[in-house]
Amino acid sequence: MQKYSVFSLVKNAFTNHENWEVAWKDPEPKKEYDVIIVGGGGHGLATAYYLAKEHGITNVAILEKGWIGGGNVGRNTTILRSNYMFDSNAHFYEFGMKLWETLSQELNYNVMYSPRGIINLAHSDAQMNAYARRGNSMRLNGIDAILLGRDDLKKMIPFADFSETCRFPIHGGLMQPRGGTARHDAVAWGYARQADSMGVDIIQNCEVTGFDVNNGKIEGVQTSRGNIKTKKVGLCVAGSTTLLADMLNMRLPIEAHVLQACVSEPVKPLLHNVVTFGAGHFYCSQSDKGEMVMGGDLDGYNSYAQRGNMPMIQHVLTGGLAVFPNFSRLKMLRTWGGIMDMSMDGSPIIDKTHIEGVYLNCGWCYGGFKATPSSGFVFAHTIAQDQVHELNSDFNLERFHTGKIIDEKGVGPKPWIG
Amino acid sequence: MSNSFRATNSTGLINKDKKINFTFNGTIYHGYEGDTLASALIANGVHLVGRSFKYHRPRGFLGVGVEEPNAMVQLHDGNKSEPNIIATEVELVEGLKAKSQNCWPSVQFDIGEINNVLNRFFPAGFYYKTFMWPKSFWMKIYEPFIRKAAGMGKAPLLPDPDRYEHNYEHCDVLVVGSGPSGLASALAAAKNGARVILAEDKPNFGGSLLTDEVTIGNMSGKEWASDTISQLKSMPNVILKKRSQVFGYYDHNMTVMIERVSDHIENPSKYTPRQRLHYIRAGEVIVSTGSIERPISFGNNDRPGIVLASAAKEYMKVYETLVGKKPIIFTNNDTAYSTALEFIKNDIEPIIVDTRDSSNGELVKEVQQKGISIKFNSGIADTKGHLKINSAIIGKLDSSKESFISEETVECDCICMSGGWTPTVHLSSQAGNKLKFNDDIDAFVPDKKRQKETAIGAANGSFTLNQSLAEGFQVGFDLSNKFTDQNNPTNSPNSNEPSYEKHEKLWCMPLPSGKKPKRFIDFQNDVAVSDVELAIREGFRSIEHVKRYTTLGMAGDQGKTSNLNGLQYVSKIEKKIVPEVGHTTFRPPYTPVTIGAIVGREVGNHYLPTRKSPIHTWHEENNAVFVAAGLWQRPRYYPRGSEDMNSAVNREAANVRKNVGICDVTTLGKIDIKGPDAPEFLNRVYTNAWLKLPVGKARYGVMLREDGMVFDDGTTSRLSENHFHMTTTTAQAANVLSHLEYYLQVVWPDLDVNVLSTTEQWSGIAVAGPKSRDLLSKLFPDVDMSNEGLPFMGLVDSSIDGIKARIYRISFSGELAYEVNVESNYGLYIWKKIMEEGQSFDIQPYGTEALSTLRIEMGHVAGAELDGRTIPFDVGLNSMVSQKKDFIGKRSLSKDAFTESDRQTIVGLVPLDKKTKIPEGSHIIEDNSAVAPIPKLGHVSSSCWSVEYNNPFSIAIIKDGKNKIGKNLYAVSPLKDISIPVEVVSSHYVDPEGTRVRS
Amino acid sequence: MLEIKCPYCGKRSQNEFSYGGDATIKRPQLGEEISTEDWDNFVYYRDNPRGKHSELWHHVSGCRQWFKVSRDTATHEIFDTCKMNEDFNV
Repeated sequence: MQKYSVFSLVKNAFTNHENWEVAWKDPEPKKEYDVIIVGGGGHGLATAYYLAKEHGITNVAILEKGWIGGGNVGRNTTILRSNYMFDSNAHFYEFGMKLWETLSQELNYNVMYSPRGIINLAHSDAQMNAYARRGNSMRLNGIDAILLGRDDLKKMIPFADFSETCRFPIHGGLMQPRGGTARHDAVAWGYARQADSMGVDIIQNCEVTGFDVNNGKIEGVQTSRGNIKTKKVGLCVAGSTTLLADMLNMRLPIEAHVLQACVSEPVKPLLHNVVTFGAGHFYCSQSDKGEMVMGGDLDGYNSYAQRGNMPMIQHVLTGGLAVFPNFSRLKMLRTWGGIMDMSMDGSPIIDKTHIEGVYLNCGWCYGGFKATPSSGFVFAHTIAQDQVHELNSDFNLERFHTGKIIDEKGVGPKPWIG
Repeated sequence: MSNSFRATNSTGLINKDKKINFTFNGTIYHGYEGDTLASALIANGVHLVGRSFKYHRPRGFLGVGVEEPNAMVQLHDGNKSEPNIIATEVELVEGLKAKSQNCWPSVQFDIGEINNVLNRFFPAGFYYKTFMWPKSFWMKIYEPFIRKAAGMGKAPLLPDPDRYEHNYEHCDVLVVGSGPSGLASALAAAKNGARVILAEDKPNFGGSLLTDEVTIGNMSGKEWASDTISQLKSMPNVILKKRSQVFGYYDHNMTVMIERVSDHIENPSKYTPRQRLHYIRAGEVIVSTGSIERPISFGNNDRPGIVLASAAKEYMKVYETLVGKKPIIFTNNDTAYSTALEFIKNDIEPIIVDTRDSSNGELVKEVQQKGISIKFNSGIADTKGHLKINSAIIGKLDSSKESFISEETVECDCICMSGGWTPTVHLSSQAGNKLKFNDDIDAFVPDKKRQKETAIGAANGSFTLNQSLAEGFQVGFDLSNKFTDQNNPTNSPNSNEPSYEKHEKLWCMPLPSGKKPKRFIDFQNDVAVSDVELAIREGFRSIEHVKRYTTLGMAGDQGKTSNLNGLQYVSKIEKKIVPEVGHTTFRPPYTPVTIGAIVGREVGNHYLPTRKSPIHTWHEENNAVFVAAGLWQRPRYYPRGSEDMNSAVNREAANVRKNVGICDVTTLGKIDIKGPDAPEFLNRVYTNAWLKLPVGKARYGVMLREDGMVFDDGTTSRLSENHFHMTTTTAQAANVLSHLEYYLQVVWPDLDVNVLSTTEQWSGIAVAGPKSRDLLSKLFPDVDMSNEGLPFMGLVDSSIDGIKARIYRISFSGELAYEVNVESNYGLYIWKKIMEEGQSFDIQPYGTEALSTLRIEMGHVAGAELDGRTIPFDVGLNSMVSQKKDFIGKRSLSKDAFTESDRQTIVGLVPLDKKTKIPEGSHIIEDNSAVAPIPKLGHVSSSCWSVEYNNPFSIAIIKDGKNKIGKNLYAVSPLKDISIPVEVVSSHYVDPEGTRVRS
Repeated sequence: MLEIKCPYCGKRSQNEFSYGGDATIKRPQLGEEISTEDWDNFVYYRDNPRGKHSELWHHVSGCRQWFKVSRDTATHEIFDTCKMNEDFNV
């Protein structure tokens, strides 16, 4: 594999960039693989990479219905954080943060990890207390967190509405300085390129249409490009999980919902941090291109449409102007939607299933992008060892029966309630 | 050179009697009424407008309207400043100020142009391959540099002074676009009696009829357009909207339109909104959005002065402006010849370069008859001129058209290019229409519709006037017939237009010999042919991968002029036909929309409604400091003199414990519950027993969600046999009502019960403290307030001054207390009355902070404890859970994890030093010297200064709480660098037996 | 913005309604002996089809009635709505 660097870039510039190799090949599916990963999104690609790198399993195929990176890894708002209250989430996402820090170097692909700090604005003492509970929990778990006062915030986001008379004055905030953003497409492509180089077959335009299960064991998958044998299948298709689970007669505590995001036109650097509004559904960061990347809440009804409707966009931007009134004269350039696997407690599921050799990675709700490295890492472990990793041991299906649910929001099994 | 580029053949729509002054990059120019910023600048010979995104190349105008990718400017100053405005969309208004963006120090000399010099090092996706070493440099050096270089214009830093409105419309037929097909369909639909809205993005109706030399009936196209508009204007069932763009097509035939209301008016009234957003729910939508001309890729095809042929024609015909005086027309089709003819009308002889071998089209012949020779089988290989084009290298194409046989340099001051036409299918595609590829026009057109949307005219790939008009009249009639019974068709008039020969499938010129100039596809994002080649070479073969890797079509213009050319090039390299390559998704909005307009009037204090109790004015007059409780504003405390919050709160709370306090509890949710099955219903909703509650008694109840978590709590009273009054927490009032309705309507429809919110019908006033009985006795002399007459959890109806009042003996403070409810309108009167009578009992008002203090001391739970993650056991409410009956959520309580004895449960905490207040949100740990990750036993949910014991007290929820009582632990807040040794005590810190409330 | 036909009030825009999820869920009878698995199925497990979905909506800013909607989760097309005690026609 070619090494990417400023030297290779300069060298290739003098040959008109005609000697760059493909980032990943386009192979025909083989008859059999040791492991098949269904879903060529971030999590699937990362899982294949870690299967090869950490476990030496390289006879692996990733089956992607469309084109790799076309689902949620290419549709999210690129935020990375580990600012969770509950230990199971905190340790898992913090492990991910450590992987993010060196991911560009590890993948030899610049994923533009940018720890620009994520700030949750608080608008009342009660909210500051709730944030303090989470922030203290983070600190006790060894995760960075600081409280910010109004004066701190005025220096960081001076154009926000700091008037005392606005509808929900800013009291302060909780910040995770190491939180930030990364370039979403690069993450998918970087993992794909490395996985490919270690022997993983990335097979695009290959839709899984069924599974061969015998005596409770997986034996192969049926696809639009023929049947492929395997003893292990990992499902990494958040957004479409229940569609595949239906083929396996598996019922899951998951609903599909559409989450929209939008960007403004690019403007010169203004907003350095990732900021979430505490009195409405709005968060924002400014991309390296200059666009304000904005999101908020689910459209609020089951949906598999990768597009949303105006009321939620209006609702989110209304929250946006409540905190950043100067954004009013910016223009909204583009909106899009992604399908969320909303689990019934808001936390993911990474687990073995009742079918031997079938492994499940789903239920990412709004937060799958930041989990890409850690999810791939522990899922690869779960598949390779046929045993859950310590970090995903709480993300099991059993918790909905035992009661050990991990509900960060506390709204219960109604995912459409923000 | 003021206005030296005005056309001599003046038949346009500008008013030369009205001069308009404007400033561009500090220089004052003038244009005329009817000009756009673009046409006025071009008329003044200004083509250099801005710099491109990546390479900072000098850029001018490509188009004349929404398709413009290059000519973006920063408009106005200060709080009205606006970045990334397309100059072709700005109507000239006196005093307009614009400047170039993305350049420094000036648009003529821009340091950033170094990127262009070094452009060979910055191919598509270069940033993925580098800037990785050393690791620390990314965040500190590389990324800030990239951010600064990108970004185009500057965002204003101040709030927007303008106002924006929303409007909701319904109609039978919405027609989008007022070209020939749009006008025809609107006329046919309107004459057939349908309610029609006709939306036109531009300031003038007519679309292509304003620039095309055609006749309809016995009129010119332009006259027919104007005549049709007059007819439509006179019809009451028609709404005509210009400067109005339908930018989004959403579910269930909801479209959204943005109307530019006042930017083009010199001094708009203060109350005129700047823009208006229309939500239009249409029965049928006719998409007559026309088509956009395609550019051609050739060497340095982005220089200022290189424009679309149709744009050049529109500048001449509508704005009486010449894009140049030494034009080259470069085309692969016949339509550009109409531009040539327009130049000829202005006594300018164009050079014509046509990639085709020949053409017998009428316009071509007409041009030839004027003595103009045409360079067939030729193309432009390259151009020269740094800040403005000054010459072109014209090459003779070989038979394969893959290379040039010979090249010549020709002087020029503009190139007008035409690569054919792309139907504007955005709205159809947004509506869910699966597009199909039309080989005849080499473009996608709408096919299978999913919503009530019909594309006609050029948007449907119908490029002749006859066809457009015929489709328009037919579709307008057919669709309107769904809504009216008039069955009144309008016939399409005869029309005349030139005939056209077919275009050539050639959109990318070969490179000139020995050189490799950039041949741009996407101008705004600086994506060239070589970038697409590189993407495919590197395996980014899906069209979506090409788009994302090269950023083709992702700029502000969303690829209006570039997407199809990109596709065509991918299909050429991949040797696939275009439909196999597919197209990327068309997402709303069609063009960028001002965020302020999307938000409308819900800005500032109107962000969300503010709810105030009827007693609010009294609180204001009495120095209350307010706190938001959801949408409500509640008095937090009432400081006296220079008191700070803590002293005020302690005073208020202590006064309740000692004398009597009064608190506005109007915000509590109230639900009226009636029906013979009401007791049974409550028995199912609450965890405790309700069947035997006597009339005239209240009871505290806890309700769960089905997953076993505590949902809400409150007191409910039985007013009569079948009539109950429920109270909820302020936060959950609306959710509890929906919850009750769900169970009554969905789960147990057999129960005969009705529920109704009465939150706003009642004012609630809590009167609490040892002297409350004496005070109330005085206020209600006819009520027996004795413990026997009105015992704890009793209620009685009475009145003051003829105002009906209901008195509940309930208590949140843990003191002897009452709650007086009166109709909302009398709330303020009664409050004042109680205050007046209370003076002799040392009454003081208390706010939410003192209310919290009082309940925390008593160990009463509230929102901080009932956070949606606790079951009754966790918060000391197990005694509320009936073992005898079933109720919502009960089955969940027997889950394994919910029956573990060492679950986190509620306790009290007192700091060992009896001084240090424990911050809420602290966590409880055993070992103060441990290093992270440190095991947490639980957290501090509520804290107060106990006025009873005069030391801090907190409620915490900690693992195996009951067995921790008496132990010493640490409450830590690493965020505040605080660690406090604490003793665990019972959460019932004051009066654990509850003797006071029953006294 | 969806347009939903409330069976009591007629067609209204989505912003008058709130969503209530899978309408096929049947709450177990009160007092019924029920396995943990069956109970959890009721509390946490849902139909989640791509296509026709039977769901509840609540006309919160209107008549405050809960009712059933048959809607396509891929296209958002609404096939039918009906009162709780009625069945869909399509």
